[in-house]
Amino acid sequence: MMGIPELFFYFFTIMVIGIGLIVAFSRNLLRSAFALFFVLFGIAGFYVLLGGDFLAVVQIMVYAGGVNVLLIFGTMLTSDISSPKTSNLSFQGALTFIAGVSFLILLVLIINTTNWPIQVPGEMAATTKDIGRLLLKEYVLPFEIISFLLLAAIVSSLVLVKKGD
Amino acid sequence: MGLTGYLTVSAVLFTLGLVIFISRKNTIAILMGVELMLNAAALNFVAFARFTPSQASQLDGQIFAVFIILLAAAEAVVALAIALSVYKSLNQIGADKLASLKG
Repeated sequence: MMGIPELFFYFFTIMVIGIGLIVAFSRNLLRSAFALFFVLFGIAGFYVLLGGDFLAVVQIMVYAGGVNVLLIFGTMLTSDISSPKTSNLSFQGALTFIAGVSFLILLVLIINTTNWPIQVPGEMAATTKDIGRLLLKEYVLPFEIISFLLLAAIVSSLVLVKKGD
Repeated sequence: MGLTGYLTVSAVLFTLGLVIFISRKNTIAILMGVELMLNAAALNFVAFARFTPSQASQLDGQIFAVFIILLAAAEAVVALAIALSVYKSLNQIGADKLASLKG
């Protein structure tokens, strides 16, 4: 009875949430970092299911290829991987668990009781051309600001790392 | 799958990020939690763009998700540079041990 999209939705849900639990509760920080890689891939799969082809590719390239490699790199450079039991989960585990579960219950209640104005989704079409047009017409000011922000991030990270020498 | 399915997955992801953010000691692990929370927000935007699109354009939510991804990349770069330079001067990056200003 289930169609292919539903099957993929459940597959990605299990993948994202199951591996996300590893990210959250693994003692080994490096294992968390590698698990985050698969969570980001699963989210790219959700983007494909939601008709965002360009966004899925950007997610894989920027997040899985860039940010996550950077996180793994930082983990390897800074933490003591050979003895991962020393500094990972904090002692307030029970309090954190209670806070997280109650927050999740609240969010799910809100999601399920709100009456969302859902429209029937149209046909999926390629989005790259339209996103490019929107970025250079309606959203050109945020686009320029974010490119300036990226430049500032590059320069500031260089300055921060170089200052120690 | 409808909108509520995606919103529920995104809520679970956000909660996981929040739990990481408040329970981990390592600064880079905290950064991972922030990345998860940002991803949950972007997933919400894309889901709303699909199921309740705005009048002006179908793709507004996806544009917001692009901006979120770019902001997360910039934030990760700067936060990692800070973590590395803190590690260079203090030799550890546990968030509970970084208690001195101008260290």
